[in-house]
Amino acid sequence: MSGAAWVIATDTKYLVSMVTAGAALGAAPTVVAVGPRDLAEAAAESGAGQVVWLEPTAGTPAEAYGPAVAALVTAAGPRLLLASSAAAARTLLGAAAAALGAATVSGAIAVEASGDKVAVKCSRLGGAVVETFEAAGPVAAVCQGYDAPAPGGAAPIESADLGQPAALTIADEHPAPGGGGLTEAERVVGFGRGIKVRADMAMVEELAAALNAAVGCTMPVADDYKWMDQYIGRSGLSIAPKLYLALGIQGSPQHTQGIRDVKVVAAINTDPEAPIFRRATYGIVADLYEVVPEILAALKS
Amino acid sequence: MKVVALYKWARDPEAATVRAGGVVDWGNAKMVAGDDDHAVIEVAKTLAEGGELVGLTLGDGDAAWAVARGVDVAYSVADAPYLADEATTAAIMAAAVKHIGGVDVVVIGDAEQQHPAVPGLLAGLLGWPALSAVGSASADGAKVTVERKVVGNIQTVSAGTPVVLGVAAAGEEAKPPGMMQMLQARKKPVTTLSLADLGVAADQGVTSAGTALPELEGAKMLEGSPAEVAAALVAALRSDGVL
Repeated sequence: MSGAAWVIATDTKYLVSMVTAGAALGAAPTVVAVGPRDLAEAAAESGAGQVVWLEPTAGTPAEAYGPAVAALVTAAGPRLLLASSAAAARTLLGAAAAALGAATVSGAIAVEASGDKVAVKCSRLGGAVVETFEAAGPVAAVCQGYDAPAPGGAAPIESADLGQPAALTIADEHPAPGGGGLTEAERVVGFGRGIKVRADMAMVEELAAALNAAVGCTMPVADDYKWMDQYIGRSGLSIAPKLYLALGIQGSPQHTQGIRDVKVVAAINTDPEAPIFRRATYGIVADLYEVVPEILAALKS
Repeated sequence: MKVVALYKWARDPEAATVRAGGVVDWGNAKMVAGDDDHAVIEVAKTLAEGGELVGLTLGDGDAAWAVARGVDVAYSVADAPYLADEATTAAIMAAAVKHIGGVDVVVIGDAEQQHPAVPGLLAGLLGWPALSAVGSASADGAKVTVERKVVGNIQTVSAGTPVVLGVAAAGEEAKPPGMMQMLQARKKPVTTLSLADLGVAADQGVTSAGTALPELEGAKMLEGSPAEVAAALVAALRSDGVL
């Protein structure tokens, strides 16, 4: 089946990893890119077979083009629809999946053709388990992923008709205050209750400065101690840096759901049974007060 | 405006126990208020001022939770089960919204972490547009103006009705209702709907082929003196290209 998988993108989040996953159905996926020319070009270099580009009118959010995206998808009738968890992307995925009558699951990390079925592997319960869902009919999935380098090459870009957009208008847009750049940072140092007194945050900040990283914390540090305004976690901020250094963090599901998109997690904790070590790439069972000064020294060498 | 606030339509992932081999045991976990649900009620209440605020829950959850927070009329689709197929969950919600009728805005938890497709699917099934990541909203005649956070920006969007708004809570609930409010809320009637009343089935388009523990479970543990582990960590992070 040609073009068996379609990917809906409103930004480049997980774009290459979604296209790579979709290719498991046997053909290079089609990407519907709803955004500026740059996005369409990134999609063309993502390994896609073709790119269908919708360029939003100035002042109109991507979500307004749900009807146009749904019409394109239903005309092609793909077996698989993928999108990232970006707000606009998953909203458009919903519009297309509803029109296609597709079953929909979330947390997708891999796709396989399984006989005449499509199997979607999903990370569930904050990454504690992987559940495989099989669909005999069309299936849509909100993906987890990583930001992989583009394989290069260039698929053709075809402009699509914007159709009749929904009545949505952007009246104003300005940078959000606060957050300390946590959601945009390439590196983040996070700390939990392993930091004993507020003054010790200076040590965390010194390490973060040496790593050119932002500083974040767990929910109890923000809500109970009030040391910071915002925290990383399911009900707080979700972050996706290349590196997350977790200092004195136990790793409750609340917290690990906020770091599930991090590429490399390094954790230091005195408790060898701490759940954070299940999510971490590197683990050190030690007193962070002894290790952090040594990391600072190692970074200078 | 007539506003439907959807709340308590999913289980708490922390109620699940992961057993050996990755088998998930949900016990008899019920639908609970999600992290965003208190913000859902707040936004819905603002939009419904001078109009009608309808609460809608799936499963046999306690409607008093919403009534105590200001919902005028409470509906529950009592026999709606918890489903992995978000399209089926959204189809049940869409049928209930149509049954309630004359609805201008549906407000639902953004659910980015657990069921991120549901708000968009619900809108798609209703044939309405949707906006996610909404922080606050106000009514302006037949329009709504929402403020939301997208990729580090605060965006103000004006939307016609009908529309679905996916609300993301900024934090914990500031002032949960007290015991008296909860007790009074329990006296309010709840209209119970069934899947049969709504003419929908809880059939899913996916079947679970089972759960397993993630393959990459566990960290590479670095051992040695503090200086040794620090040097090993820095070397590993440099070779991974993340420093």
